[in-house]
Amino acid sequence: MTVVRWGRRTVLGVMGAAALALSAAPAFAQSLEKTSIGVLALASSGPIFIAKSKGYFEKEGLDVDLKMFTSAQQVPVAVASGDVDFGVTGLTAGFYNLAAKGAVTMIAAQSRDEPGFELSAYVAANTAFAAGLKKPADLKGKRIAITTVGSTFHYMLGLLGQKYGFTVKDLTMVPLQDVPKMTAAFKGGQVDAIVAPVTVARQMVADGAGTIIGWVGDETPWQLGALFTGPKTIAQRRPTVEKFIRAYQTALAEYHAAFNTKDASGAIVKGPGYDSLLAIIAEATKQKPEVVAAGLPYVDPQGKLLIDDVVNQVKFWQAEGQVDKALDAKSIMDLSFVK
Amino acid sequence: MRLIIKDLCHRYDDLVVLEGIDLTVREGEVLAVIGPSGCGKSTLLGIAGGIVAPTSGTIETAGAVPDGCLNPVTFIFQDFALLPWRSVEDNLALVLEHHPLPAAERRERIEAGLRRMGLWDFRKALPKQLSGGMRQRVGIARALAVRPAMLLLDEPLSALDAQTRELLMEDFLALWQRERTTALYVTHNLDEALRLADRVVVLSRRPGRLREIVTIEEPRDQRLQPSAQAHLAEVRDRLWHLIRAEAQLADREIANA
Amino acid sequence: MPDTSLPVTPAQPVRFRGGGFTVRTHRWAALLAFAVLIAVWESTNRFGLVSPLFLPPPSAVAKALGAMVADGSLWQHLKASLMRIGVGWAMGTVCGMAVGFAMGIGSVARAVGVPLVSAFFPIPKIALLPLFILWFGIGEPSKFATIGFGVFFPTVIATYSAIDSVPRNLIRMAQSFGLPWASILRKIVLPGALPGILAGFRITASIALILVVAAEMIGAEYGIGAFVLTAGNLMLTDQLLAGVLVLSLLGLAIGTVLSILERRLLKWR
Repeated sequence: MTVVRWGRRTVLGVMGAAALALSAAPAFAQSLEKTSIGVLALASSGPIFIAKSKGYFEKEGLDVDLKMFTSAQQVPVAVASGDVDFGVTGLTAGFYNLAAKGAVTMIAAQSRDEPGFELSAYVAANTAFAAGLKKPADLKGKRIAITTVGSTFHYMLGLLGQKYGFTVKDLTMVPLQDVPKMTAAFKGGQVDAIVAPVTVARQMVADGAGTIIGWVGDETPWQLGALFTGPKTIAQRRPTVEKFIRAYQTALAEYHAAFNTKDASGAIVKGPGYDSLLAIIAEATKQKPEVVAAGLPYVDPQGKLLIDDVVNQVKFWQAEGQVDKALDAKSIMDLSFVK
Repeated sequence: MRLIIKDLCHRYDDLVVLEGIDLTVREGEVLAVIGPSGCGKSTLLGIAGGIVAPTSGTIETAGAVPDGCLNPVTFIFQDFALLPWRSVEDNLALVLEHHPLPAAERRERIEAGLRRMGLWDFRKALPKQLSGGMRQRVGIARALAVRPAMLLLDEPLSALDAQTRELLMEDFLALWQRERTTALYVTHNLDEALRLADRVVVLSRRPGRLREIVTIEEPRDQRLQPSAQAHLAEVRDRLWHLIRAEAQLADREIANA
Repeated sequence: MPDTSLPVTPAQPVRFRGGGFTVRTHRWAALLAFAVLIAVWESTNRFGLVSPLFLPPPSAVAKALGAMVADGSLWQHLKASLMRIGVGWAMGTVCGMAVGFAMGIGSVARAVGVPLVSAFFPIPKIALLPLFILWFGIGEPSKFATIGFGVFFPTVIATYSAIDSVPRNLIRMAQSFGLPWASILRKIVLPGALPGILAGFRITASIALILVVAAEMIGAEYGIGAFVLTAGNLMLTDQLLAGVLVLSLLGLAIGTVLSILERRLLKWR
């Protein structure tokens, strides 16, 4: 396996031939190919942090520069503008609009909402809970705070509606742009519920402001995020993309084994390397390990995308009038890297 | 109306501006106050008109006021102090509006004031559209509209050019010919004092003290006659002698605003 | 007699050396500059120099704007934003002028007010949005508050410095004619301060326009600011620029109205 890899890179790499000719030393000791990825400092980027920290990128001959962004929207824009080669973040209508213009292409999965994994929560405010908002299906007709129109939370509500036979028109979505404003509106009793990431949801419960009435992963599993790059990168630097994905997959498998293992009863158990991997993610996200541990999302060990869900996402945004009707979901995924 | 100033002192912080002023403006006279700049002439006028509070001393008025007098002691200002956003007639109306007058009388007072100063045709004009001389005529008309018993004139011609000054002096002469309104006339211009005043008070500089009161014997309407010139020249020399040294000092002082 | 030893020189014309350094009006220059700018911008896209994603061409922006006009959403957005700007601005202006007047006239109010205004003015209003949500909810009141709060402080400053600039000699003239305090305020101080207050309006109107975008971050369905935010979130750059264009046209319109108002009210200047 290793031998094959060395060989392939030696053939393809410009420096590789020279390196082989000069010495038998591994190529990464010679010269690493520079590349970069845009990430958010969240546990959902965990596999990237692991691949970087444990040297999987370097083993593939890549020197990957991690560029931290503060909002999901900035990452595909940075890929589109060529500031970074890769990006890994949540899928929003904005992402699909960039993809529709040929700026980004999905190449592998990031995290997803999966049954049994607490990633995104429906949280009911106290008064609404008392008034009978006890389960996700009750959200129909309610006022729900989300970040923005076109956000992942918007889609999660759409998915919930698809499951229980209503549409987002049947509820009032209140876009508040960011978590502090959502929290303020929720605590101030301005909305009945919010859809929020696990850390925010747990904080709301801890503050006595609301009750978690369900998890998106249990209700409607879906592909929350993806690894993507520019079509130009795929066309011109295909070997780089391949190397990148191999390193990513190594980390994904390790992450999956450590954090996504369930026992016979269905409870999540600590897998091999749990503590050391948790420490890596905690350091990269500048969070306490216990905080990170409370919100570790599910990832597919090979990085396979939920293709049907991506197709559904595109259809949903098209029906909402937020993504160009002409976009074909298949055209913005390149499935040749993850098999 | 008479104005009696007794033992007046005024200081700004440590600076003594006026000291020991005892002065009476007699009924019907025009009393000019001259002195170099910075001698407290304007402050004296402000105190006399009740818009500057003196440090010590008393100011009293005595005597009759004309019929229909609304503001016995009335100012005419160097910079005219017209409201730029009001027309000529509305500037006159300003000083009548807060008095309970019948509308007809108000109109009548405004018209009388404007006509006397030759401003009737300019009644709708804004101050910016008028020359300096016309603006001061508005100031005079405004003062006349309240039928004052005493005029306090604060360098009323200083902002005007020489020819306009001459014309305005004629207006003042005509005014005093008819009305004989008591007046306290502050100026630094000797020629104005010589043309208009019955008596001239010379103030010294810092602290402003009363140096001398010079009486001009010649009747006002005779002063352009050749026969009057000898006397006027004599008074002029005397006044100039009194203020020359201090005017020089004032001139050399570095402005310390 | 002239000195005959001096050389006789022929008469010379005086050379003109004034010229320059005067500003003449070029009425069409600004329009022409605009036209050139738009043409260059359009051509960068036509010749493929810039991707339409990064800078949509004017034609795409115009198309997006046209679509907004056609489906009537432009009016819906404009109506919502104008209402917020109008109410928020009016609230901030009325309160700001009241406080500014108090500070302009009363020395105690000034002693208390100046440090307070200096302390609160630079607070970024956007940072306070979560607090506004808690205080005023997510409906219209919090949007009015955001704009009103932003307008309030500059109005205070403009008003009290405008009152400071009212010539003291006019106030003393009024006092010397025995005008009562209230009349002096109404007839001298207020009109005298009007130019400064109107100049303040120009600034606060722009602030209101800037803050309407911030205000519409709070759960707004309609509004030019909400439209711009959504377009940004959806990466629809042509719509984004169309919204920005509407905002700047709105700014231009408000500026024109203020100019007319100034010409009417300040004819005397």
